[in-house]
Amino acid sequence: MTPTADIPLKEPVISAAASDAEQLERARIDASTRVPVLMFYASAMVWLLIGTLLAGFVSFKLHSPDWLSDVSFLTWGRLRPVHMNVMVYGWASMAAMGTAIWLMARLCRTTLRHPLLIVAGIWFWNIGVLIGVIGILMGYSTGYDWLEFPPYAAVVLFVAYALIMSWAVLMFRFRRGDQIYITQWYLLGAFLWFPWLYAAAQAMLFVVPVQGVMQAAVGWWYANNLLFLWLGAIALGTAYYMIPKVIGRPVYSYHLATIGFWTYALFSSWTGMQRLVDGPFPAWMITASIAATILTIIPVATVGLNHHMTMQGYFPVMRYSPTLRFTVFGAMSYTVFSIIGILISLRSTARYLHFTEASIAYSHLGLYAFFTMVMFGSMYYTVPRLVGREWRYATLIKLHFWASAYGVGLMSLMLLVGGFAQGATQDDPSMSFIQSVASALPYLRGRTVAALLLTISHFIFAFHFGLMLFGLGRTSTVPTFLNPVEAEGSETHL
Amino acid sequence: MKGLVPLFLGVFGTFAFSWVGLTVIPNLQIGALNPQMDEEGTDIYPAPKSGMADRGRRIYAANGCIYCHSQQIRPGYAYADVDRLRDAGPSPRPKWAERRSAPRDYIFDRPVVLGQERMGPDLSNIGKRAPTEEEKPAAAPGANPPAASPAAAQPPPSPNSAPPKPPNANAPAAPAGSPPPPAGSSSAPPTNAAPPKPGAGAPPQSASPPAPSAGSSPASAAAANPSPAPSASPNPNGMPPVYSAAWHHRHLYSPRSMSPDNRDSTMPAYKFLYEKHQIGAERSADALQLTGADAPPTGWEIVPTYDASCLVAYLMSLDQSHPLKEVKTAEGAAPPAASPPAVPAGSPAPPPAGSPPPAPPKK
Repeated sequence: MTPTADIPLKEPVISAAASDAEQLERARIDASTRVPVLMFYASAMVWLLIGTLLAGFVSFKLHSPDWLSDVSFLTWGRLRPVHMNVMVYGWASMAAMGTAIWLMARLCRTTLRHPLLIVAGIWFWNIGVLIGVIGILMGYSTGYDWLEFPPYAAVVLFVAYALIMSWAVLMFRFRRGDQIYITQWYLLGAFLWFPWLYAAAQAMLFVVPVQGVMQAAVGWWYANNLLFLWLGAIALGTAYYMIPKVIGRPVYSYHLATIGFWTYALFSSWTGMQRLVDGPFPAWMITASIAATILTIIPVATVGLNHHMTMQGYFPVMRYSPTLRFTVFGAMSYTVFSIIGILISLRSTARYLHFTEASIAYSHLGLYAFFTMVMFGSMYYTVPRLVGREWRYATLIKLHFWASAYGVGLMSLMLLVGGFAQGATQDDPSMSFIQSVASALPYLRGRTVAALLLTISHFIFAFHFGLMLFGLGRTSTVPTFLNPVEAEGSETHL
Repeated sequence: MKGLVPLFLGVFGTFAFSWVGLTVIPNLQIGALNPQMDEEGTDIYPAPKSGMADRGRRIYAANGCIYCHSQQIRPGYAYADVDRLRDAGPSPRPKWAERRSAPRDYIFDRPVVLGQERMGPDLSNIGKRAPTEEEKPAAAPGANPPAASPAAAQPPPSPNSAPPKPPNANAPAAPAGSPPPPAGSSSAPPTNAAPPKPGAGAPPQSASPPAPSAGSSPASAAAANPSPAPSASPNPNGMPPVYSAAWHHRHLYSPRSMSPDNRDSTMPAYKFLYEKHQIGAERSADALQLTGADAPPTGWEIVPTYDASCLVAYLMSLDQSHPLKEVKTAEGAAPPAASPPAVPAGSPAPPPAGSPPPAPPKK
């Protein structure tokens, strides 16, 4: 592991005393975020396990529809939106907020004030998700994608969010230092985008409902923006923090990062309508979204290049650091996710892939391979700092990583190929419709295998996280490495 | 980057740009469409759905039908949607659609259920496929067509249409338009004969879908009855005519029993929308006709709940065959059958009041 020295590195030169003071300050900041962030993570883990089990049900029931179908709240059509919403609002949003608050405190170099208000917000958020889930199960789903929660659940989520994020944004007021780091741009953007998005969508669908097909347009505009501007932005911000932090090296280029951030905000917010390709809409809407999707190649390229150049020469660290391994996997998946997003949004491929399982593959690449993997990475970094213990078993981390990586890889592959098989059959009017279903069935069974892998991975992680939470981690000053570290690798703080 | 203000402005600006661009401006363009009507202000399309069908849409959304069924037809120049034939149906099998969907088709829909995937077939026109409709133009040219196409499940403006009574077997059946098999109120006697015997079962059922005719003018319904009989062609084993209300009920109850081809269907059974009753004095008019493993024990019957009736009423009301000025219809052949605009419905009812009355036209 020899860092290539030709890049002008701005290695922070810190005297021993200053370093001690800094460490003390960090410890104080971590302590102030301890309760809320761990509560976010613990809630997120519970929702993750619920969502994972639901995912298994949904996947299995899609190819074996008679299983447990005679009870109204176990019917496939209700479990599917519950799975989606549990994952998006229960797992993803809570993990994202936990990580974001921790990062914000660290980067603003200020302790978290009034953490109890955030704790109250967490309770409200959990209650909101629970109400929404029960609402869907009872048959009160609104029928809008990603917004199936009945409107009264949304109100609770709003209150919760106001409690949580007002304090996170307030931290910004008390920040020390002039420089606003890249991660903070993404986090601040996400903190503001989410409530605007959610309010706009709720208002246009439930308060002053728009007419007819415009509801679908608002729905997909919201769904895609939520994926990019809320979850995606937090994941990218996290990656911008974790990668340089773990390898102990500044980000390659601030300039690239600026370009990447603004083009990301500009182009990814215009996507969404490609999910309605050639539906009953003015063609310009769809085309604008397809064009915006293609243009997302610019942020993908700049962000990817920036991360890659930062990592250059340090890739072997992935052998040791769990955080880096998950985060880099997620950052790479961002590129894959975006490129597949571009490929399936083109009209020529939409002919074969629209209305098929391929769109599910796309969602999982974004929400899992990219977002969730980055979140796992950040949890491996923050949790030891919050509980004062190190992860106990390197083997479990490795199992978690490989089960997740193979699981999501297999799932995406199955759904993309199965989607193509399904779509190609549907594009040929001489084949009966049921043949298209039959052609997708083997892949759907394969997807269930992938779901099984992911279930194993999440239960392993939950177990490990539980050990940490109950103080059963290792007491050690040396972080848990995935593999025994040779002497040369140990100077980086993994 | 320094300073919070440029960051905040940029964050707000990008959001506002996409919000205005993708929701506000399109909303100005297609967010306030009116139904289309001809010069005389008649032949209005689309019309709001009846109370039962409207409730049925909510059930459709709440039970996740939207995740497998689309309700949008893409244009024929790039997609197979318009060319595709339905898997089931009398031969020649019906097409999925005559034309692509347009924003105007959905102006009364809330929630709008365009769908995102096709693990099941598109349902934009499933209501149009009801058996009587197929036969009617041939049987009585010009007699009833307006009732057949756009208003398939519009409530007849008869007094008994509105109040959705609780899941009592007979009461809600007729009024809402399509739902359960026989047009209960108007032609009660024949219904009892319906379930068991395939041949005899067909006529009363096929009379039901455009129930308006049954509700408002029993005579015309009766007149129409004999003709659709041959339409019940694919009816070998006690199966109700394809896409009739009874067929939908059976399909919802036991999707894989419909035909041998259907065993690959991944549609869940919606048995929880049906109730098992002991047969009382006489068999319920809307009891499902089930065979084989699904059949209830003797002395029992399976009847739809009110929700199931609403859902089927909704399905039977799905019909985008009415031509729209802004959309080219695929071939010239179809439209005349679908809707002769020359035959206006009797009274020029304003759109919000619903449904042009499907009573026999003047001419």
